[in-house]
Amino acid sequence: MGKEKLIPILALIILLIGSSSTIYVYATQDNTNIDTDTINIYNQHYTIEQIFSIAEPRIFNDLNYSGVALDDLIIKVGVECPEYHTYTITGEGGYQKTVKWGNMQNGLLTMEKRVVFTDLPKAFRVKGVVKIEVI
Amino acid sequence: MDKMRIVAGTILFGSLWGFSECIIGSYFHDAGLPAGAIMTGVFAVGFMLITRLLYRQRGMQLGMGLVAGMLRLFNPFGGCFICSAIAIMAEGALFELVWYKISLDFTELKKPIMTASMGVITAYVCFVGGYIVTQVLTPMFSSAGFYLENLIVFLPQILSRGLLAAVLGGIIIPVAMLLKNIGIARIRDRVYYPTTVAISVLCWTAVIVNTLLILEV
Repeated sequence: MGKEKLIPILALIILLIGSSSTIYVYATQDNTNIDTDTINIYNQHYTIEQIFSIAEPRIFNDLNYSGVALDDLIIKVGVECPEYHTYTITGEGGYQKTVKWGNMQNGLLTMEKRVVFTDLPKAFRVKGVVKIEVI
Repeated sequence: MDKMRIVAGTILFGSLWGFSECIIGSYFHDAGLPAGAIMTGVFAVGFMLITRLLYRQRGMQLGMGLVAGMLRLFNPFGGCFICSAIAIMAEGALFELVWYKISLDFTELKKPIMTASMGVITAYVCFVGGYIVTQVLTPMFSSAGFYLENLIVFLPQILSRGLLAAVLGGIIIPVAMLLKNIGIARIRDRVYYPTTVAISVLCWTAVIVNTLLILEV
């Protein structure tokens, strides 16, 4: 097949992939009945107020963030041997990041449900956290 | 064309691209606009195609990506700067791959459908490819490590976000093709080199001063 036919066909396929992915993303967002009022941590649901009442506060002055210490939160929700687990943090849009215990010790969860780590790039900041899975 | 001219052009257009990513991209990001798709679909693809048209030199766009990525590292604001720098460098490499089989006199791209199609392909491949590369490499360079499932879960979002970049690329490349007949070789050395150096220095200075000003605030 010559370039004159191949290039427009490839462009059309790309537009179809982009369009169908957009439809899929919006359809799954509408269909999934995610409870955004609570955060699922270690298979239990907590409101942000509950989280702030059980875990120790933590402040990152340099980054201008304050919240609760993620490592303390994990201990308070009853995870045993936390250093032997990894933690997958999922946001509202499905964006998720998996971190280690060492990272949790340098992380916090803000009142706006955002996790921030001092030892990781900004790509690890998950907004609108809905779930913290212990693996 | 003289190699020094190409090197100067690479630094000039790489700096312009990096400057756009740092200053204009940050404004788009702060305004809540889809900065990544706009920056790739309009600025990255636009600058890379313009240099391909003006200099007709393969490999130059990869160099531009490295220069722009380096400049992005100097501006730690407006999203993840390490991710952006990696993505920009990847975009330069991906552009080279997409345009590898296209001749340097662009004989294949006479019809508008061909230029628009190349715009769609280039912008989408650069955006999606750059996004995936950064999602893989950024965790690898961090203490957290890379987990494939995190990428797979987010893949539909990446493929979806690339649609805007593809549409913008489909518009910008036919427009940029209008510059096809400009002869950069006709510009005299005594004008060309001081101009390229001055604009490049201006771009780097603006980004660094902008960073220092934000740090002071």
